[in-house]
Amino acid sequence: MPRITLNKVTMRFGDIYAVRDIDLVIKDGEYLTILGPSGCGKTSLIKVISGLWIPTEGSVTIDGEDVTDVPIEDRHVGYVFQNIALFPHMKVAKNVSFGPRMQGRTKEESKETADKFLKLVNMLDRLDMFPGELSGGEQQKVAIARAMASGARLLLLDEPLSALDARVRMDLRYEIRRLVKELGITVIHVTHDQDEAMSVSDRIVVMRNGSIVESDSPMKLYRRPNNLFTAYFIGETNLMEGMVSDKDDRNILVKLRDGTDIKVGGNRQFNINDAVVLSVRPEYVYTAKEGLSAKVVQVIYMGSYWRVVTRAKSEDKVEYNIPKHHEPPAIGQDVELVFNRKMSIVYRRPKEGIAEAVRLE
Amino acid sequence: MPMSLTKRIDDLSSRRDIRSGWFGIITLFFLAFIILPTVYVLIFGIMDFQNLSNMVLDDPEVMSLVWGAVFTSFSLALIVTIIDLIVGIPMAWIMVRKQFRGKKLLDTLIDMPLAFPTAALGFSIGIFWGLPVEAPVPPGALGIVASPYILIMLLHIIFTYPYMVRSLSAILEQIDQSYEEAGMTLGASRMTAARTITLPLFRAGLITGFILCFARSLSETGGTFIALITVGQADKFFTGPTLIAALKNDLVLGTTDVEAVLAVVSIILIITAIIFLLIIKFVLGRVGVPFDKVWPRWERVLSRGAVPKAKDVVSFVWLFAIVIIPSFFIFAYLLVPSPADMDWSGLLDALAYSFMVAGVVTLADIVLGVPLALYIARHKDKKLAQAVDSLVNIPLIVPTTALGFSLALFWTTQGLVTNLTVLVIMAHIAFTYPLVVRNVAGAVMEVDPSYEEAARTLGAKPFATFRTVLFPIVRSAVLAGAILAFTRSLGETGATVAVSPDANTVPVYIIGLMNTGDYYLAAVSAMVLIMVSFVFMFGLRYVIRREGGTY
Amino acid sequence: MTVVELKGLSKRYGKTIAADGMDLRVEEGEYICILGPTGAGKTTALKMIAGLIDPDSGKILFDGKDYTRVEPEAREAALLSQVYSLFPHLDVNGNVIYGPRIRGWEFQQAQDIVDNMLEMVHLNRRKDALPRELSGGMQQRTALARALASGSKVILLDEPLRALDARLRIELRREIRSLVKALGITAIHVTHDQEEAMVIADRVAVMRYGKVVQVGTPKEVFDTPVSPFVANFVGQSNFFKGRLVSNGDYTVVENDMGINVKARPCQLPVGSEVIVAIKVGNTQLRTEEGFFLGRVERILYEGVTIHIDVMANGKLFSAKLPNRKYEEFSPGDEVVVGWSPDEATVFPMPEQGLEEELRLE
Repeated sequence: MPRITLNKVTMRFGDIYAVRDIDLVIKDGEYLTILGPSGCGKTSLIKVISGLWIPTEGSVTIDGEDVTDVPIEDRHVGYVFQNIALFPHMKVAKNVSFGPRMQGRTKEESKETADKFLKLVNMLDRLDMFPGELSGGEQQKVAIARAMASGARLLLLDEPLSALDARVRMDLRYEIRRLVKELGITVIHVTHDQDEAMSVSDRIVVMRNGSIVESDSPMKLYRRPNNLFTAYFIGETNLMEGMVSDKDDRNILVKLRDGTDIKVGGNRQFNINDAVVLSVRPEYVYTAKEGLSAKVVQVIYMGSYWRVVTRAKSEDKVEYNIPKHHEPPAIGQDVELVFNRKMSIVYRRPKEGIAEAVRLE
Repeated sequence: MPMSLTKRIDDLSSRRDIRSGWFGIITLFFLAFIILPTVYVLIFGIMDFQNLSNMVLDDPEVMSLVWGAVFTSFSLALIVTIIDLIVGIPMAWIMVRKQFRGKKLLDTLIDMPLAFPTAALGFSIGIFWGLPVEAPVPPGALGIVASPYILIMLLHIIFTYPYMVRSLSAILEQIDQSYEEAGMTLGASRMTAARTITLPLFRAGLITGFILCFARSLSETGGTFIALITVGQADKFFTGPTLIAALKNDLVLGTTDVEAVLAVVSIILIITAIIFLLIIKFVLGRVGVPFDKVWPRWERVLSRGAVPKAKDVVSFVWLFAIVIIPSFFIFAYLLVPSPADMDWSGLLDALAYSFMVAGVVTLADIVLGVPLALYIARHKDKKLAQAVDSLVNIPLIVPTTALGFSLALFWTTQGLVTNLTVLVIMAHIAFTYPLVVRNVAGAVMEVDPSYEEAARTLGAKPFATFRTVLFPIVRSAVLAGAILAFTRSLGETGATVAVSPDANTVPVYIIGLMNTGDYYLAAVSAMVLIMVSFVFMFGLRYVIRREGGTY
Repeated sequence: MTVVELKGLSKRYGKTIAADGMDLRVEEGEYICILGPTGAGKTTALKMIAGLIDPDSGKILFDGKDYTRVEPEAREAALLSQVYSLFPHLDVNGNVIYGPRIRGWEFQQAQDIVDNMLEMVHLNRRKDALPRELSGGMQQRTALARALASGSKVILLDEPLRALDARLRIELRREIRSLVKALGITAIHVTHDQEEAMVIADRVAVMRYGKVVQVGTPKEVFDTPVSPFVANFVGQSNFFKGRLVSNGDYTVVENDMGINVKARPCQLPVGSEVIVAIKVGNTQLRTEEGFFLGRVERILYEGVTIHIDVMANGKLFSAKLPNRKYEEFSPGDEVVVGWSPDEATVFPMPEQGLEEELRLE
């Protein structure tokens, strides 16, 4: 059972760093997702782990053995490509038995293995079809079966769902997680889709500009992100500029641009007059008799709740959710907003400005 | 008022009936001026069968000459193509899958033979490998090939080599590398992955490469003829096209009806060429590469260490020893002392004539070829466009000598065109037109139609869309097609000779010089022709590089 | 500014039916989303409206006038394709000014409009950049500006966000809507992403097999789907097969597990074979009242909601609950599955079977 360690991995093309000084340990049987916007270096990292690329500096070990220079075909990793990459000239059965054949197993053995994995992904009835005859979702399931049939204990998924329809993606991500958990294999999954990452992962590594921003379980990253970028990138959040105006031993007081004081629990590392950013997710914003004054600009039906978009007096855009059975406010209506004290997080205001700190590309 | 003219065309192009009419006219031109004259000799053969039969078919001496020449052509083309294939695959692999310093230079070197007019090439090969009879031999020549067959084979390998490497690498580039990578993550060694995954996907490239090489070798006249003259075999050893050239130059069969023999040779060449190429397409399309069996272990051994290196080295050695050095050998003539009296006027006249022909031909190709290319590329769902798309290939696979003869026959027997220069130009248009159409149609097909669709929905009329959006995007391909047509016209011998040996283009002029034993001037003319072609080729590469990556 | 009507549009390609008697009416200044899986015929419909594809039969009306055979350039309906199709040889300014210029407007007038438009999409500083020098999001905005600057009365958007990162899509979909709304143009937007459609559209038209199956506001389409397919495509649903037991204030259905479940009243006869659909977001897991017992299989923390899979009588059901309930459940717990009857819908059993009805690809 593999445990993968990356030691100071750097991948450089000329003067451009794709990834820089990455240290990462992936535990045995863990489902790890590397999440980040385009160009953050996540694909480079997975290519280094797979052996498709050799890192400029640093090393990769699998189960304590240094594999940095081991060629890809000897690493026994299953790789699922973004463009699916099923061999177009081979039928499904042959695609899946390709791996076992390459390991030198007989035709019969290989076929058995292929059948076993095709059964796991419910594709046994597609044996005699060519990849071109399958739908996108079916192709990707076959590709996953092919990757696992080669006997890999480590599965690398390189944006496996991004070529598919939104609705198909949604079903498939639950299926992938179920499958790999059943087999107990280690997975490293690369994606730019935060919803997908949240649904499948034991742990998410957030990457940006070639470095790791932070890594934790989906729940921790959603509730208590250490970094402003994470707060913005995972889930949705309201970001409000302000300044610490007062503090006691349990709370601090953040003064927004219009002068409204917001009481926030914890966050005692800040001092009075520190420039800060307040982050509150829409489900932790409520209406009350008195609070931050705001005007409703848009109301959107989200299926299980209403999303209300407001323009607050403090110049910030603030959004909040209300249950679907409630009557949503009219556009133009004035509301007073308060925030869940425990679920409000305060960050030091970035020097480069909020927009730059959360820029996606 | 040019603005109002384009505006008027814009407005006209917005009408469906006008658009259909315009494409109809272009298609009609293509059928009447390119395809019909090219294959007219077949019709002539059917109508005049009795006469041909009496004059030629019943004459065993003539027929054995004809069949011998045709057989030589085909066996030569086949061997040459197979050799190209064997050395071409590793080279294509190097060009597409490897990154190294000097790759651009190598890229240029591979294209070199394309820029060499074959007439010059034939001369160079003759003096390098062969045993020239009269021509002075510059120092450094090997002079080890006595067999004209092998000599011609060495010649043909040179100018077909780039076609093979190019078409193989074009396809290889399109095959997503992730297929191979996927194979390797599944445990396949580099060689196994290449053989079982990439090669089977390669078939289209193999067929294109095969057909291009085969057709080119089959149709080549000038270089072959000149090489044979150099070693004094032009009246003894024949390929199909050189037989026509020899007949036209009155080297053989002095007494018989030359026209009838020419017709028979042309008919046989055209029919066999088409049949043979259909067979190739059919057979290669079926035969599988053995990817079912795997030998993981020893292929793994072959994938590592010395074996791949050795393969690369052999590829490079082949490129230099067989392709580049023999081609450039003609420049060794600069080391031979020149005769005192040199008459340049003939060469200048020929150059002027060649340029005039090539210029007119290129212009006609662009004006009439681009609309047809557009039609083919943008109406792929229409039956007529598909048919035209296949027909465009015919002038490419018909040997140019047969084409020239057929075309001249068509226009002269009808009494429609008798002017020699006009005939030469029309013949040159016939075999360069497909080059332009192919190039431009290929480029247009690569352009996502959504550019034009966006322009239309923004308010641009069809011709305005072409002017402002599509043309700027494919400009480099149009230019590339034009330069290709120009150099091919400049270097062409076969078609010109078949129309008339009196047409004073540079290659024909060189043949004339060699027939009169004026080898030094012939060599100088060949060098000048090479230089001119090089200027154009580098221009072409510059254009493509500069425009490359725009979209 | 323009009412667009499609009447019985049909289009075939050989055996493939891309449009099969499609009807749709888009009101003046309305933002409508055509939502459907890949291959439903969405893009074909859009291109027929643009005039780029001729329908085999049927009519297209703009403001009541027959436009079926009108050339695209005369329709004033600008198309924004999913690959943006920015002219590679023109810079940002050149691209955006293309429409006004080709329509023959005065240069200064055209330039003013372009400047204004580029300001609105925050690209006035990148006027001289070539398309390939822009990030994906900027290319998207340039394409949008180009389509809007052309003075068109209708804008046709073909999956305009498909090529972008998930997080960026969320940012940009709001931007597109507010820009289009500000100009008051009629917009027809094609997408496969139900969330995008819900957030961006005034009305959603769900398409399948070349037909419009349902048109309505996001709330109508989500809450009162007309078929099991719509119920599943617009937000996931749990399904039960069963037999209708009684009609009344609510409908009672005996499902295939032999349990009676309740749903919204319907007109179907007692005893008929039916399907009951209930949105996963409306499925409740409680400890006391409900319809049947199940065991919690897994819990995924997805952000705003948690996703819980429950195994009951050998079948898997899913529920999405607010994230604050995360601590209330753990795998292995016994729970009662239930819902409020007016959130469940009864459908007649589809002729081709439920599985075929729900096919996404």
